[in-house]
Amino acid sequence: MADQARFEEDALQYARQLYSAAVRMTRNPQDAEDLVQETFLKAYRAYDSFEEGTNLKAWLYRILTNTFINKYRADSRRPRESELGDVEDLYMYRRIASGDSGEASRSAEERVLDGLVEEDIKRAVEELPEIFRIPVLLADLEGFSYKEIAEILDIPIGTVMSRLHRGRKAMQKRLWDYAEQRGLSPERRNRHEPEL
Amino acid sequence: MSRNCDEALANLYAYLDREMDEVSAEEIRAHLAECGGCDRPFDFERRLREVIRTKLDEDVPEEIIARIRAAIATEAQA
Repeated sequence: MADQARFEEDALQYARQLYSAAVRMTRNPQDAEDLVQETFLKAYRAYDSFEEGTNLKAWLYRILTNTFINKYRADSRRPRESELGDVEDLYMYRRIASGDSGEASRSAEERVLDGLVEEDIKRAVEELPEIFRIPVLLADLEGFSYKEIAEILDIPIGTVMSRLHRGRKAMQKRLWDYAEQRGLSPERRNRHEPEL
Repeated sequence: MSRNCDEALANLYAYLDREMDEVSAEEIRAHLAECGGCDRPFDFERRLREVIRTKLDEDVPEEIIARIRAAIATEAQA
């Protein structure tokens, strides 16, 4: 049993991370603030039921995601697994590596990775349907294990893995589209070179 | 592309996610060290993930923390 008097000391260290995740979930800073505040209040009220020594960060994320799903979900219909089209594995890498070999391809990789813009990355995550977006955020932003994500979302590990896999691929496809629009892809450069 | 390459690529996410047992992870590491083709996609995916993580991080405004503390203080007195 955890001591409520120590809640701030124990839990507020995760505020920054929870806020980052909340912004990407709600897609809106004001809602993110409300969501984080509500999460901490709920956690505070329930803190004496939190078992000390277990995973506090995962417990807070569980409250965060449940609160988000129940209250802020923009999409009230039940999300479906079929919402994402099928995307090839290693989508970005294969587009960069195709045609080129060796050093040319290396520098094309650098160009794409260095040229990815914060706004595009945020857009690519936020466009993912929620059932994919949340596992991707929990894994790639927060570094939770498959098992922890399964517990936070109360879904089987196999479902976590398949949603992560499909969500990451779909995100790469969007990132690639944005990179192309910014002229970062090798094909686009080649097409433009004669005009220079 | 050998059968080992297929197997390594099939396990790319599990490897980068550190979800493999130590023996299997060691097999992947050994393959990457000797295979000229597979280290590239692994390296690209790892760096891409790092770029994504860094760019998604948000600074939490100080006033939000202050408001959370105030809300907890109010709750504690109730």
